[in-house]
Amino acid sequence: MDALTGESNIVYDARGLVEPNADVPKISTIDGEKAEFDAQNLTTRQINLELRWLINEQGITDVTVRNPGAKHSLGVGLLTRCKITFDGSLGYFGCGIIDGPEVHVKGRVGWSACENMMSGVVVVEGNAGSLTGAAMRGGDLIVKGRLGARTGIDQKGGTILTMGSVGSMTGFMMQRGRQVICEDAGHGLGDSMYDGIIYVGGKVKSLGIDCVPGEWTDADTEFIERKFRIYELGTPPTFQKFVCGKKLYNYDNLEASERKLVL
Amino acid sequence: MAEQNVATERHNPELTVGISAEYLSGKRFPYQEDISTIEDVDLMESTPGQDLNWLEDITLLVEDGVPAVFDRYSNSFVKIYFEIPKGREDEIARKVLIKHLTSGNSYGIQLKEAHAKFPQPELGPWVKGSRTVGTDWKRSVLPGWEAPSGH
Repeated sequence: MDALTGESNIVYDARGLVEPNADVPKISTIDGEKAEFDAQNLTTRQINLELRWLINEQGITDVTVRNPGAKHSLGVGLLTRCKITFDGSLGYFGCGIIDGPEVHVKGRVGWSACENMMSGVVVVEGNAGSLTGAAMRGGDLIVKGRLGARTGIDQKGGTILTMGSVGSMTGFMMQRGRQVICEDAGHGLGDSMYDGIIYVGGKVKSLGIDCVPGEWTDADTEFIERKFRIYELGTPPTFQKFVCGKKLYNYDNLEASERKLVL
Repeated sequence: MAEQNVATERHNPELTVGISAEYLSGKRFPYQEDISTIEDVDLMESTPGQDLNWLEDITLLVEDGVPAVFDRYSNSFVKIYFEIPKGREDEIARKVLIKHLTSGNSYGIQLKEAHAKFPQPELGPWVKGSRTVGTDWKRSVLPGWEAPSGH
């Protein structure tokens, strides 16, 4: 099949078909517990195979990936403590389903970065697309640029912090965790949220159903100051706090399995 | 009596509203009954990043009227039977959970040996040097079953 030409640097058919080459490239330069490789001529599958081989089988704890080329689904399913640096941008679904890694993305990320993230730290220097942190369960996701719509949809834990603005329906059906938005928020903020906290430093175009202003506490101050200090983000702006109004609460009517989903 | 309740739950799953770690494993663990077994757990060491990270969302809950912590890796509650010192509720809940996970007793971890499809540390990100599982996954075969024609 002919290669797609819409995105530069992608030289294979990236339309969701399984890439047939499942051989680990083993091209990394390894120095002690550190490794580095150039991903320019590798497919998504090969890049992820190389990462898993290094981390799970070679005992490497610090990997740098050169030229990730905004390919989709990079750095997914990594379930151990390690450090990964992407020296460039990621496409859709970057760093999904991770549990433990500390990731630094020097460029931007596309849709659904860190989807279902369990724990760890992801720092993105640029912007992130829609659905960032979807269904995230834990960990810190720091985006120094802006975020798209439906940020943290169905978020079940962890922290999403952006130094910029967010799009519409951010925090939709949020169930737990925290979002820190240093600039403006789009329409429908926190719509149908069950729980969790959303801090906004700029203007909110409109609040979603059952999202209401919350009372600021010392714990909020400690949390904000701690995150800004840890990630060296400077002086935090003055935030408004938003929480669930609990007018839509029907926990007693939920089945046991449904109740667990929101814990 | 508690042992009998566990056995009853296991034989009659319909009787249970929630799922407890005891129900899944068929036994109770020492760190559910003795606070001294969890005092040495280092929470900061157990999590990535420079603060508690995902443990910040873990708080002491109540299940069936008993203090409990939720294990998201097996969708079950780990009940706590010892007296919890006032002011240390969430800390104790987090320590019990980390002990449960690092001991390999979480049902989600026990399933890895047979079902992990790609190499990963058995004890997840909490234990350094944990052995790797999932290196030789094979599709389960149901004896006597044949795929329908065309599949």
